[in-house]
Amino acid sequence: MPAFSGQLVVFGFASFFALAFAVLMVVQRTPVRSVLSLVVTFFGLSVLAVLLAAPFIAALQIFVYAGAILVLFLFVIMLLNLKEEAADEDDRPVQRTLGLLVALALGGLLAGATLRAPAPPRGMPSLSSIPSPDEIPALGRLLFSDYLLAFEALSLLLLVAAVGALLLSKRKFE
Amino acid sequence: MTGALPGVAPMAVPPGAFLVVGTLLFAIGLAGALLKRNAISIFLSIELMMNAVNLLFLTYARMRGDLAGQMIVFFVIAVAAAEAAVGLAIFVALFRVRRTVDVDKIALLKW
Repeated sequence: MPAFSGQLVVFGFASFFALAFAVLMVVQRTPVRSVLSLVVTFFGLSVLAVLLAAPFIAALQIFVYAGAILVLFLFVIMLLNLKEEAADEDDRPVQRTLGLLVALALGGLLAGATLRAPAPPRGMPSLSSIPSPDEIPALGRLLFSDYLLAFEALSLLLLVAAVGALLLSKRKFE
Repeated sequence: MTGALPGVAPMAVPPGAFLVVGTLLFAIGLAGALLKRNAISIFLSIELMMNAVNLLFLTYARMRGDLAGQMIVFFVIAVAAAEAAVGLAIFVALFRVRRTVDVDKIALLKW
């Protein structure tokens, strides 16, 4: 295998954009811009999913996350007409520094730990026999055999969530 | 079925690189969740953290050659969708009552 392959270039681009726009999302004070930055991050993550031989998850990431969830966020932000977060009087410098420190420490700790952890045992037999992990049909078969109960529970959860969201937003508050 | 996985080439990118990107994204999301004061922005940061964990799941699934990791990501995405719907509905209801989604000003349960 060549040391400098095309996959490496794609990985570099995708992870750079994902990380850069994630930082932008946090730095941004306008909620709409935060959401739009997160869309770019999710597209980068979707590219990374393709590199990890998970095309179905990559498609799902774009359809469900970038397509549905973030549009819902945008919709609510525009509904509430949220403006720029004011850089107001009590900017809370102590909490701000502490929060940043905690995030940095945890990030460093996790990165170090994951890098130092032993590689997971390769090629363990999975829950059911899978012809080729690259195939989406195998994922579908797994979903409707071993994970059938969880799948049905999930459909119920989504129904309850939809009804709950409707109820919450329709109720009149005095 | 043995562990041999036909059809999967060895990884061109070292898996550690994916893990580092995932943990960094998680840390960025955590920073957002801690530093932001707009409830919707905090919620967005939590979504980012979930996606960072999803990336780790996918990486380990690829390293192990096991589809269970991808299955978990599928369920995480679906639960996140349900959570986003309910969470945003709560924010809308909250905004109707309090006229704000600033978490500093929503301290009804604090004392």
